This record gives sequence, structure tokens and C-alpha cells, in this order.
Amino acid sequence: MYGGDEVSAIVLDLGSHTCKAGYAGEDAPKAVFPSVVGSIDQMEVETETENNSGPAVDPKSNSKSLDSDKAKGKRKLYVGSQALGYRRDHMEVVSPIKDGVIVDWEAVEGIWDHAFRECLLVDPKEHPMLLAEPSSNTQQQRERTAELMFEKYKVPALFLAKNAVLTSFASGRATSLVVDSGGGSTTVAPVHDGYVLQKAVASSPIGGEFLTDCLTKSLESKGMMIKPRYSFKRKETRPGEFQVVDVDFPNTTESYKLYSQRVVASDIKECVCRAPDTPYDESAYSNIPTTSYELPDGQTIEIGADRFKIPDILFNPSLAQTIPGVENFAEIVPLRGLPQMVIESINKCDVDIRRELFSSILLAGGTASMQQLKERLEKDLLEESPQAARVKVLASGNSTERRFSVWIGGSILASLGSFQQMWFSKAEYEEHGASYVQRKCP
Amino acid sequence: MANAASGMAVHDDCKLKFMELKAKRNYRFILFKIEQQQIVIDKLGEPNESYDDFTSSFPADECRYAVFDFDFTTEENCQKSKIFFIAWSPDSSKVRMKMVYASSKDRFKRELDGISFELQATDPSEMSLDIVKGRVF
Repeated sequence: MYGGDEVSAIVLDLGSHTCKAGYAGEDAPKAVFPSVVGSIDQMEVETETENNSGPAVDPKSNSKSLDSDKAKGKRKLYVGSQALGYRRDHMEVVSPIKDGVIVDWEAVEGIWDHAFRECLLVDPKEHPMLLAEPSSNTQQQRERTAELMFEKYKVPALFLAKNAVLTSFASGRATSLVVDSGGGSTTVAPVHDGYVLQKAVASSPIGGEFLTDCLTKSLESKGMMIKPRYSFKRKETRPGEFQVVDVDFPNTTESYKLYSQRVVASDIKECVCRAPDTPYDESAYSNIPTTSYELPDGQTIEIGADRFKIPDILFNPSLAQTIPGVENFAEIVPLRGLPQMVIESINKCDVDIRRELFSSILLAGGTASMQQLKERLEKDLLEESPQAARVKVLASGNSTERRFSVWIGGSILASLGSFQQMWFSKAEYEEHGASYVQRKCP
Repeated sequence: MANAASGMAVHDDCKLKFMELKAKRNYRFILFKIEQQQIVIDKLGEPNESYDDFTSSFPADECRYAVFDFDFTTEENCQKSKIFFIAWSPDSSKVRMKMVYASSKDRFKRELDGISFELQATDPSEMSLDIVKGRVF
């Protein structure tokens, strides 16, 4: 048992796209930053810094991470939107998470370090830590997380809470079907009495990032190129008049170019896209009025049918094949739209709870906040669900709550006085080892 | 134990009064609420009170737990009664309250032995008499 309720706990939700971190008891996370890291091979940099005319590396972040890098050895990591916003030669952008599983622990450590020491300015030794984890996290992953947290960060107590359960509880339901559409993937997870029904979890790699890429490709095919912010300089020649000069950085990596393009494209997506009320149809939408968007370089583009076509990929993934550059995608993933995933998942559950699941479908995650998505999903499900079922799709009206439902759930839980006895404490870790996490945080 | 349970304590009175409802049938229903880190009794219903009296006891924007002893006659003309557990969590209540009630429910329900049916309601229509009847028959 852990008895320190005076010090507030830290709540961390490391998603595939963004990392949310903050203090338990607060309404929203203090820090929200991309969960990708910039990485430069250390050897390469050392040999090339002398003859490199590129801009000097920010000295502050340089000295800060240098000593920790020596211990790690080969590569140097840059974390946070600011560090990533700065272009560096040979910097690759890597994601520590592939298909919801952590594959690069060093990068995860980099992200945690950044959250604790640069965003929240706390010493992890002093704060219990509540981490949100994907529903499908494996036993090895959980034990490794516990080991890292206790051994490296020396946290006094730890708790691993499942994403879907936190979302479900935060909406006041112990039983629900959580549809979490995030950056890297979309997961449909049934929760019953606070347990995730693992066998019925359905997931697909179609998330916000995939939609962003489709949008980029589709715009490109129409001759609208999105220039990453680093690739040009913009000067005000006269008040209100700007001159754009392209600059060339031959040593920029492909992954960094893609990352910077995605930053712009995802903003376009968030501004103009909305889910169509009925399945997308090329001919019906060909004369739709366009919406204009001003790119960072001052160029204004007009977006028409893509506004509706891109979000519809969530409902009908085969639509992606009509976009030049994404045709091959169907070979990699089975084509299942959101409504099919929901029905498939519910049908894998016990007959007794299906009715209840149909009537409490919860939307969570950034992509699920798309305009009209809730209405469309409800409509599609009404058509495809059994007659007797009462379909109800719920999403918090408050967009912060919708986007951060997992974090908010964790924040409330960790701040409850009664929860303090539930932590997996350091003493317990020392006595029983990392595998005890399965007992304490089932 | 469910994942992310709150660890909320249950006051002994809850169990005692529930036993009285079940065995002695002293009450028609009991409402519970969470106060100062434990689950306590909010309201007791007299045996002659109706289902409407029960549903009107719920506050519109606060969460509650409740049990209701439902009397009915089967097709074979046999008098029976079943105990319903209801988790009331209106959409208009605060997130914090919803989280606390949802994460404490599993443990609390285990303390009450003899519940036949469970309903989770976010608006009055989800615990209407029709739904209750639909579950029993």
C-alpha cells in the first residue's frame, strides 16, 4: 500500500500521435506534444559538423541532453514540438509506437524525460505515476514499463490503467463500447463492468495520420503542393506584401519532410473536413462549393470534394484506393469501415450484453472529434444493427473532454483519496518484482 | 478486481439495509450515494411506495446507485420478486462524479449479494418501467 496522498500524482497518456501529460486532479493535461522524436546518429554528426554550413544547433537543448546521450551512446534525440519544429541535417523522425506496441524503448524514455523534466518540471522520484495503456498491451510490455518506471525513474508508486476503461468511466459507464479513433489507429473495445473484453477488441490502422496522408496525396494529385515550413523563407517586402524564397536543404531526411508536411496537412484537415451525411459519391460531390485555406507560404488553395471524401475513408476504406499514391494500401489491411468494426466487435460479445453495448457507444480520440462523425456513425449503425437494438452514440459535447477523455479519466482516478490504496508501490515492486503489476493493475 | 477501480469503501449500513430489503422486505428501494470517500445510504423507500416514487427520487444532475425490489406475477400466476441494481449517471452530471461512481460500482455491487438484474441509466427513459418489465419477463 502506498500512503502518500499529499503529493499529487502525474498522469501520462502516450498515444500514437500525441503524448498528454499533467497533474492528477486537473481538468486538462498541462503538456501535449507529438509522440515522435527526432533522432540524429551521433557518429555522423560529429564528422560533419565542421564542414556543415547549416544553421547552428540550439545550444540550450544541446547541452541539456548531451550527458544523458553519452550514457545511451549512439544517437541523439529531440523531443517536443519546438525541438521538432527546427530542421536539422540528417535528423530522422521516428515513432516509438508501431501498431499500438512500443518498439523503441529508448525513444519512449526520451519522451518521458521530456514530459517530466521539461514540460512539468518535476522529479519523478517524488510523484506516483498513472500511465494509460492501450487495451491490447501485452504482459511483457507492462512488466517492462513497470521495470523502467521503478528502476530508472525511481517512482514511489505506479498504476497502469486501460485507455478504454478510463474513457468509459469518465462518461459514467462501467459497461460501454469505446470507439477510440486516434492518430495512428482506430480501436473498438467493449468494456464490461470495468473489464476490457480482449477477445472482442477490433482495431484498424486507419487513424488521423492516414487521413492526413490521403489528403496530402489527393491535393498533390490536383497540383496543390504543401511546402513544409522549413523549405522557404517569407519576407514582408511592403506592408501586407510578402515575398517567398525557396531554400534548399539537401541533407533533410525524407521522414522529416513528411513530418513537417503532416503538420500543415493535419491543420487543413481539422479546419475544413467533415464527415458526409451519406456515403461519399464522386459525381454527387463534384459540384460542391469549395472552401479556401491559406497555406503557410501565402498560397491559397481551394478544397472541394476532398472535404467530404477524406473523412469518408473511415467509413469506407476502399475509397482510399481512388487516391493516387495510396492505391496499394488495400493489399496490406483488410477493408473494414467503422460501422462494420463496431458490429463485428459487439457480435463477438456475450448475447446478454449486446443490447447494452449498442446503447452506449462512446467516441474518444482526436479523429473522433471530426465534425458530423457522431451523427454519421449513428445513422450507419441504425441501418445495420438488429431491429430490437437501441443505438446510441455518445460523445462529450466539450471538445477538450472528447479529445482527452482518457487523460481526464486518469486524472480524476489518481486524485481520489480512496485510490491511494490501489497504487502498485515501490515496496511491493521490491518484494514481488515486476510481474506483480498483473495483480495490482489487472 | 476490475482495472482502474477506485478503491472506495462501503459503509456497513449499506449492507445491513440491503439485507433488510432482501430478507425482511422492510423497504421497497434504497438509494446510495458517495460521500467523503465512502458509499452511504441516501434514501430509503417504504414498502408501499411505487416505481414512480422510486424514479422521482433521483436527482437530475447527480449520480446515484440504487436497488429496487420489483414485485410481479408470472404467467403461471406465481408471485415473485427480483432485485434490480441501477447505476444512475445523468449526462449533465460532472465528469468527476461520473468517474467516481463508475469506477466504484463493480466493488460495491459485489458487496450486495442477491441482485438479479442490473441497469445503467443516463436518462429516465433508460430505467422506465417497460425496460424493467422487459428484463424480468
